[in-house]
Amino acid sequence: MKSAGITGMKIRTIGRHGREGFKNLFRNGWMTFAAISAVAVTLLILGASLVLSVNIQAMSLNIESQLQFNAYVSDHVPAKELPVIERQLHVIKGIRSVTFVSKAAALKRMKQILQSNSDLINGLGNPLPNEFVLQVTNPRDISKIATAVERIHGIDKVQYGASVVPKLLSVMTMVRDTAIIFIAGLVIMGMFLISNTVKITIFTRRREIEIMKLVGATDGFIRGPFFVEGTLMGIVGALIPSVLLYAGYQWVRKTVALFPPFTLLPTAYVMDRVVFVLLACGLFIGVWGSVVSMRKFLRV
Amino acid sequence: MIEMQDVWKEYGNGVTALSGISVRIPQGTFVYVVGPSGAGKSTFIKLMYRQERPTKGHIFVGGFNIERLRERQIPIMRRHVGVVFQDYKLLQQLTVAENIAFALEVIEVSRKTIQKRVNEVLELVGIEDKRNMIPRELSGGEQQRVAIARALVNKPKVVVADEPTGNLDPDNSWSILKLLERVNDRGTTIVMATHNRELVNASKKRVIAIENGRISRDEERGDYGYED
Repeated sequence: MKSAGITGMKIRTIGRHGREGFKNLFRNGWMTFAAISAVAVTLLILGASLVLSVNIQAMSLNIESQLQFNAYVSDHVPAKELPVIERQLHVIKGIRSVTFVSKAAALKRMKQILQSNSDLINGLGNPLPNEFVLQVTNPRDISKIATAVERIHGIDKVQYGASVVPKLLSVMTMVRDTAIIFIAGLVIMGMFLISNTVKITIFTRRREIEIMKLVGATDGFIRGPFFVEGTLMGIVGALIPSVLLYAGYQWVRKTVALFPPFTLLPTAYVMDRVVFVLLACGLFIGVWGSVVSMRKFLRV
Repeated sequence: MIEMQDVWKEYGNGVTALSGISVRIPQGTFVYVVGPSGAGKSTFIKLMYRQERPTKGHIFVGGFNIERLRERQIPIMRRHVGVVFQDYKLLQQLTVAENIAFALEVIEVSRKTIQKRVNEVLELVGIEDKRNMIPRELSGGEQQRVAIARALVNKPKVVVADEPTGNLDPDNSWSILKLLERVNDRGTTIVMATHNRELVNASKKRVIAIENGRISRDEERGDYGYED
């Protein structure tokens, strides 16, 4: 398609396209309403799942950064065999770091934690075992690694508290995948509705377009108002869910804040990104919808 | 100047509308195109403003090589060719002045120039007093004057008219013809397809007759020549 005339367009002409495109919205009120609603619903779902996934991701990052577990060494293992175990640990794939904490160091740390109550364990000698603190690269592998570590001769027990993480991650992946399919369908529907609305406008104004073509208006000029119409529908369709999400998120965040330790990301941080994505999608749907519908009509 | 060299036109449905048309129309002439319905008259006219493309052959209109014209040059070419139709093709929701100005607005002429040009053509076609009326309030003859004014407002070298008097009574047909002659006197080429025997016979101009897609007759100071 040619866009002759778009370049070097005069300000006055842009103003004219704006006015005409705006008027078009009301000429087919119901179609416009349907198209904007479709885009708004689509983007509302998209936005909600974005908000959700951004938060889950932040939460899981938070847990992930603490993804370490302890491997306790059996008391029967003599000190000189500890390096052997450490070497074996290093061989296991997916372990990022291995830190040895001796019986004595563990006791010292324990006493620090207990502080004034440290005499509670004074009479017990040192009940704590030697331990290795392991950090894993990928939280998804944690249970596999734990099993492997447990098999090493001399390791008594493995302990990790973040067993919820893999479940959380797999739920998140599933939610995201379903959302993508759902959203893709809705985006196509939104484009279809916008393109139909623009088509109807074009159809009702085909006489005007015919005359425009006969007196030498460029395709770019003729397209102007319809382009504006589609774009406006896309933007309005993005603004509605943006406002709803903003208000909704703020409310949910306040409510969640009452139940520590859960906290949601700051409203401004999340909404800045989400609104940007929604506007970009709205624009894309609107522009694409109007361009596609005009393609056929202008070939006169 | 308009020139066609061995122009053929076959439509997608297999109908051959024109088979080998060659014609030369010097700048400033007034030409009637006559012939039975379906003989290829309309196609002949449509080729001149690139509503249709020839299947074969060359067409030159006012310095444009029509069949070689690229998509984006078509609008530029059309600003040099005024078109007038049987059904006027006016926009009903716009006033007379707005309808004429529309042709200049869409090619992004400045407001001041638009005003000046609109006044000039309104005066030329003689409907200055109707400038603020809408087409529905005008007679057929007056509406056709508006359409002619719109065709002229770009100062085209060529005006192509397809049955401009087809919907008009004899009196109005005459005054439209007089108007087109006046435009022709100012140096504009006029190509007018018509079924109006009286007009053709009375004014003794060049007549091109098209039958079965060919030029069957081309006479200076010719007659209508059909018995329909």
